Amino acid sequence: MAYQTVYEIFARKSRGEPLRHIGNLNAPDDDLAKVYAYETYDEEKWFDMWIVARDRFHEVFNRGDADTSSADGGA
Amino acid sequence: MADELSSEVRGPVRDLILVLADSKRLLGMRYAGWILGAPELEAGIACASMAQDEWGHGRLLYALLKDFGEDVDELEHGREPGDYANIEVLDSAPGTWHDLVACNALVDGALSVQFEAFSGSSYPMLRQRVEKLLDEERFHAAHGAAWLRRLAAGGDDSRSAMADAIERIAPAVFRWFGPDSDRSKALVDSGVAAAAGSELRRRLAERMAPLLASAFDGSPVGLTEPAFDGFNETTRRTRPDGPDAATIRQVRGDKNRAFLMD
Repeated sequence: MAYQTVYEIFARKSRGEPLRHIGNLNAPDDDLAKVYAYETYDEEKWFDMWIVARDRFHEVFNRGDADTSSADGGA
Repeated sequence: MADELSSEVRGPVRDLILVLADSKRLLGMRYAGWILGAPELEAGIACASMAQDEWGHGRLLYALLKDFGEDVDELEHGREPGDYANIEVLDSAPGTWHDLVACNALVDGALSVQFEAFSGSSYPMLRQRVEKLLDEERFHAAHGAAWLRRLAAGGDDSRSAMADAIERIAPAVFRWFGPDSDRSKALVDSGVAAAAGSELRRRLAERMAPLLASAFDGSPVGLTEPAFDGFNETTRRTRPDGPDAATIRQVRGDKNRAFLMD
């Protein structure tokens, strides 16, 4: 189909809790991405859910190259 | 309780709940038919999720009919195709993704317009079930709208296929609300439904207008008072035969029933 964007999905169980990354999906636009996020990830009772297109993420830094011993270092 | 409904409205309410239950069950079948064939993985997942929602709504509505002294197990598993009261647009499977999207937008939309009319219903068993149902339907509507816009914007062939799919089912969907008859009047006068007949037709047209206007630069769906020749107000159908036998075997769960143990 048409041009697809990768969207990252975030949700949390209650107000005040930090948003948790719960997955990603492909969609051609924000409207369908919201629908797909709900239909795919609303099996659990989330308090709220958010999507953002992956190309809106900007890396601030990545210490993965400097410290390969760290469990969450590289990606 | 159903026995608190007045005698003139009790039958019409029972009939309408069966119409809605059968329509939800068939719509679930039609969504399920596209789980593996949808144009992208996420749309297939959405179809699976919408099918589950529709079947859930169907079960809840069939269960309501116990309140009217119906044998729910018999209703769900014991009827023949001609006994089904689903909206007749769902008798056959949507042949293309455009047809499925037309059903998603228009049929699901018509059902929601009907359920919205129960939001303040004087029949509590119905009223209490409407809110959660309509909450789930918001996302079905969003799916239908987003896909309809996308297909209408997807080149001349896709655009005309989308318009054709809507025009093919629109007359039967708008007719489905029925005439402004004694039956409709009883539903409104008793407070079971806030509106019926032509008023619900108007509400569906109003609901669809912005979407169709933005998708097609002017709506292809004209709102004329439909002809009700042969319209059966009990089933809201014009055809006596129901869905095809293979569909009904699936709807009834005949194969699964073979494994049931008493």
